[in-house]
Amino acid sequence: MLGRAEGKYDVVVVGGGPAGMGAALGARDSGAERILILDREPEIGGILLQCIHSGFGIHYFREELTGPEYAERFLAKAIDQDIDLVTDSYVSGVTVDSSGRKAVRVMNERRGILTLETRSVVLAMGCRERTRGAIRIPGSRPSGVFTAGFAQKLVNMMGYLPGKRIAILGSGDIGLIMARRLILEGCDVVGVFEIMPYSNGLTRNVVQCLDDFGIPLHLSTTVVNIDGRDRVERITVAPVGDDMAPIMKRAWEVDCDTLLISIGLIPENELSRNLGIRLDEVNTGGPWVSSTMETSMPGMFACGNVVHVHDLADFVTREALLAGQFAGEWAQGIKRPTDNISLVPGDNLRYCVPHSLSPGREHTVYMRCRDPMKKCKLRVGDLREKKLRYVFPAEMISLKVRPDLLDRFHGDSLRIDLVPLERGEEGDA
Amino acid sequence: MPETEKFVCVGCPIGCPLELEHEGDEIIEVAGNDCKRGAKYAKQEFSDPRRSLATTVAISGAVWGRLPVKTTGQVPKHRVMEAARVIHEICCGAPVEAGQVLLEGLLGEAGLDVIATRSMENVE
Repeated sequence: MLGRAEGKYDVVVVGGGPAGMGAALGARDSGAERILILDREPEIGGILLQCIHSGFGIHYFREELTGPEYAERFLAKAIDQDIDLVTDSYVSGVTVDSSGRKAVRVMNERRGILTLETRSVVLAMGCRERTRGAIRIPGSRPSGVFTAGFAQKLVNMMGYLPGKRIAILGSGDIGLIMARRLILEGCDVVGVFEIMPYSNGLTRNVVQCLDDFGIPLHLSTTVVNIDGRDRVERITVAPVGDDMAPIMKRAWEVDCDTLLISIGLIPENELSRNLGIRLDEVNTGGPWVSSTMETSMPGMFACGNVVHVHDLADFVTREALLAGQFAGEWAQGIKRPTDNISLVPGDNLRYCVPHSLSPGREHTVYMRCRDPMKKCKLRVGDLREKKLRYVFPAEMISLKVRPDLLDRFHGDSLRIDLVPLERGEEGDA
Repeated sequence: MPETEKFVCVGCPIGCPLELEHEGDEIIEVAGNDCKRGAKYAKQEFSDPRRSLATTVAISGAVWGRLPVKTTGQVPKHRVMEAARVIHEICCGAPVEAGQVLLEGLLGEAGLDVIATRSMENVE
């Protein structure tokens, strides 16, 4: 797919997954005229196209769709809204001149290097999988070690099986879903190994992807060695103690020809980093964003998994529509006042997004906890408390902040804590 | 003699351990659930467990070698593997439209069809 990709744009969106498609539609809603989505793959749709299972669209469309169905509905909207779509194109950089106008440098196989002028940019590059190197699994370097998401593309789109006897490290949803996929395709899945004492995936996926097929889930267990000359022949796994260190005298060997690694995702920010955009390296791994999803660079916005890893595509869409709206307004010269309250993740919170807020507007703040907790509450400074029945690291927490809430706040940084309920508060949690 | 069957509720991440007491096909009681969704789930899992099924079939002439498909209704849990094997026999050629029926009456169940979950153009 090679659209027009010429002339001057109001909004250029980098990445055509759920975030990019949502951002382009949000920009159109704001009244921006010329909008372009760029994607390096041969098709628009992003990772949705390989997520063939259902579970998408429950919030946005009020019906349960598969990933490809969710993508195709948004693609149809984008075409209907006359958004330029250009695939097979890699964005290698963005330059900004003294007046704030931006030039996006694009590499395309057939047209060479293009430079596209635009008023605002939305970064929607999504995330990458952590690899074997990220956790330095010892052993030899045979073929047969894949990240789970790449294996998903091999199986669901390209039509290759990664192996016959599969072990899976990590129990996030991608790992669990791949366990079921490979069983359905006729492979043996010998076990899923999870270093934490709880699964990082949805209970529904543990039950329907593992229990239904009798696949064992070994909690508090990790892979300590990979063995094989040309191809994986076996792995060694060991339980871990409270300090997360493997207990080697209780280790055992598992015969397999393939190890899938599903140990988390990291926002893909090479482009953002090269641009000198401020990143939240400690907490989200993505760009620092204001309440309008604007990065530290004026007119550069970001949304979706490039900012923080979401658990549902529907939430990506919601965030992207907002980012696109503000990017479109920016292109038309509508500038919002700069946020004056920064948000600080406190007790048991890994991060809060956005990183700052403004009084007088409604906001949705997304958070992720460090440790699971039952019967707890979110404490927003001394402004507000919200009771929660439970929190899990695998499930994002969202909090609506009403426009008038911040009127009473006079500081410049607002801390949010996740704390246990006090005695006597438990009744209606 | 009443017997007990155990389930893990999938309604939310708490994953309540459910115990369903029954005598033959007759359900006596569900215990262990924090909320009413748990009881409903245990009863469904006991009497007629079903699963939605999504997989892929071979396609020729398209940008990729596999076309994603799903069943229009849920498949009885104990027949999921059998259903997958039947679906994997399907081969089709591009172009295909999302929603196009590729197989009618899967497992002999009227109304249980296999449909494409995306469109694929012919690129040859």
